[in-house]
Amino acid sequence: MSVASSEPTLEIRSKARSARHAQLRVFLTNWQAMLGLVLVVIFFASAIFAPQIAPYDPNAMDIPARLAGPSWQHLAGTDQLGRDTLSRILHGGRVALTIAAIGVSLSLAIGLALGMLAAFGPRRLDSLLLLIFDSVRSFPTIILGLATVSLTGPSLGLVMVIVVITSIPQYARVTRTAALVLRGTDFVLAERSLGASTLRILWHHILPNVVGPLLILAAMDVPVVVSLEAGLSFLGLGVTPPTASWGTLLNEGYLVIRNSSWMVIMAGMPLVLTTIGFTFLAEGLRDILDPRMNRGR
Amino acid sequence: MTQPTLSRRGFLASGTALTALAMGGFLPPIARAQPEKVLRLRMDGDIKILDPGYMIGGIEIEAQKQCLPFLAQYKRDGDTIGWEPTYYVSKLEQRDPTHIDFELVEGLNWSGGHGPLKASDVKFSYERMKKSEWAGYFEVLDHVEVTGERTGTIVLTKPFAPFFLVTLCHGPGAILCERAVTEAGGRFTTQFPAVCGPYLFSNAPGQAATFLPNPDWSGPKPEFDRVQAKIITQVKATELAYEAGELDCTQIDSDAVARYRAGPPPGSELTKAGELNFMWLGMNSEHPKLHDIRVRRAIQHAVDVDSIIAAAYSNVATKSCGIICPGLIGHRTETKFYTYDPAKARELLAEAGVNGLKLSLRTLNTQQPMLVAQIVQANLGAVGITLEVIPLDAGPFWEMGMESAGDTWKDLELWTMRFGSVPDPYEASQWFVSSQVGNWNWERWTNPEYDSLVEQGIAESNPEKRNDIYLRLQEIMEETGAYVWLCHEPRYYVHRSDISVNVSPSGQQDYRLFTVI
Repeated sequence: MSVASSEPTLEIRSKARSARHAQLRVFLTNWQAMLGLVLVVIFFASAIFAPQIAPYDPNAMDIPARLAGPSWQHLAGTDQLGRDTLSRILHGGRVALTIAAIGVSLSLAIGLALGMLAAFGPRRLDSLLLLIFDSVRSFPTIILGLATVSLTGPSLGLVMVIVVITSIPQYARVTRTAALVLRGTDFVLAERSLGASTLRILWHHILPNVVGPLLILAAMDVPVVVSLEAGLSFLGLGVTPPTASWGTLLNEGYLVIRNSSWMVIMAGMPLVLTTIGFTFLAEGLRDILDPRMNRGR
Repeated sequence: MTQPTLSRRGFLASGTALTALAMGGFLPPIARAQPEKVLRLRMDGDIKILDPGYMIGGIEIEAQKQCLPFLAQYKRDGDTIGWEPTYYVSKLEQRDPTHIDFELVEGLNWSGGHGPLKASDVKFSYERMKKSEWAGYFEVLDHVEVTGERTGTIVLTKPFAPFFLVTLCHGPGAILCERAVTEAGGRFTTQFPAVCGPYLFSNAPGQAATFLPNPDWSGPKPEFDRVQAKIITQVKATELAYEAGELDCTQIDSDAVARYRAGPPPGSELTKAGELNFMWLGMNSEHPKLHDIRVRRAIQHAVDVDSIIAAAYSNVATKSCGIICPGLIGHRTETKFYTYDPAKARELLAEAGVNGLKLSLRTLNTQQPMLVAQIVQANLGAVGITLEVIPLDAGPFWEMGMESAGDTWKDLELWTMRFGSVPDPYEASQWFVSSQVGNWNWERWTNPEYDSLVEQGIAESNPEKRNDIYLRLQEIMEETGAYVWLCHEPRYYVHRSDISVNVSPSGQQDYRLFTVI
């Protein structure tokens, strides 16, 4: 009896393993996904190890050497105060990473919780949450930033709050839609008829099924958040001096573009590469995680 | 009846004949009119209020200069700035320290059939200023006595040496048409009720201000028939517009000055209008962290002003040693109580028993103030002071030291500040008297000798004595330890080489005095 019941389980496990191997093969043979992965790894590594690999102190000034072009001493040139641009880019990556990691994680977690609450909660709560999500989404992010900064002053924490507030609705909406679909499926109805609590259903059946698409969405959201931070810092709403961020570097480069165009090019490159990296990686993940994308293969 | 036809041969023949007539000068003037001479300039924002009593200043003064009469105008003599009568007056003389006689030129009329320019217009214009938002400029005016249709006397309550430069040459000295302003309800905003100058004014908000020929004008004809001032807020965009050939003249910032000095755009020249700005690092002497003068003095010694001028002003600005700008009576060329000396700064901090001091510096969030703030941050860091830079928008920045605008002044520690001035030392010195504490004296110190010297400077007309007064007055300011003088930033204009520009020392372009070389 026990032998008979374990055979199908083993077969299922084996099928699952081979399916995972197939997915991995698909991912590894997708050059775009691999390029994305490499760029993302570089992004994380350069941000985490910036203090070790940056050639100079990012805030050390050398005014006689201001606005120098790329050279062996300063591979990405110097800014208006003679600070090494490469070192500032590497340290600026830490700001981008902090914002992306914390901002996306927080908004994903809160969005996930609110989305499930909207799908499984009372209808009035669902309507209220939808109204809030739509209101937040309809408010221009930059205007929200400008309004908030006039009250509180610029800071990294403020950027984080703006990122989280403006990103929550999209995670919540995706979660809600997926949860509503799953709520009427046979396996959820069966579980409910066996007396399972709503919390158990959410934790064991809904969450595992919505987390995949949300992770893809989060990966695609990282470059958006990094660009948003850069945009807010560009406008002077983000980090305060002397902290380097890609947005402030871009702004400083823009202001001296007629004297030296290197700063804008150098500060723009990490933004472009990060965007390409996360987008390619997310698309690669979607190819293997989204069943609809596999259908044609 | 024969229908008129035009053959190819006929067309060519007619064209040739017309060309020949035109070349021979046989066509009527309308057919061979001279091309209109247009001057294309930049304005840095919209004109809000043209009324001298309620204007914001800057570009509004620029518009007034083209359309309204003034009794006096600025005159340069080398590096010194003086005044001369305008073409609106045949006489402008200071009879004694409190009486100025004037006689208006005959035959100048207000537009819109408002009659001739009269001495009563001068009386109306100046006496209404005493009750306006710019009343400070006319504080010493008692009244204007009209002695004839075109003659009168300005009577002052006490001697006021800067009256010509500070008041008569500047925007508040504009003369209005009494009849037109009264008909308009006593005040006006974006249109002049009547003009008496070479140009009429037309405004397209957000786009441009246009100055068109005034058909009623019988005075000297300006070189340019029309002036179009495009509204471009960003100075960098202005440089691009100039280089693209969209402007004939524009103000540029220090970066561009350094770049254009190395290689100006083809067919261009640079003109320096003046250095009537003074920038400093201020300290709140009442703040508990800065109450000890040794701490303030340490900060004075810690800041490397030369590096600030090199990095933030591309070595274009003049190092400042006080509030009186270069070219004016009382300009200082060296400081008395401090030089850049980080070792001395550390010594003073140790002497004051200060360790691990944390301060904040509030600054405008624009390019140059931010660069200055970062250099100061690094300089103070080098002597053991941690400085937090707080960038602010113009709105909260300009009211942070005012007691009338909330309690921010209590938290104010350090800030970078920039004032513009007019070509007389009185203007710069008046903001630091005791009565200005809580208003513009954000450093919050008082000194009876300083207050007395400001009064003496106003009354004294002897240049040498005035020089001594203003030198002493700045010495007192420096001694408070509440200032690190930074620089006097010059106003530079890039323009076509074939144009001679006329810009007042405080930066207003006088289009009617632009000439083609």
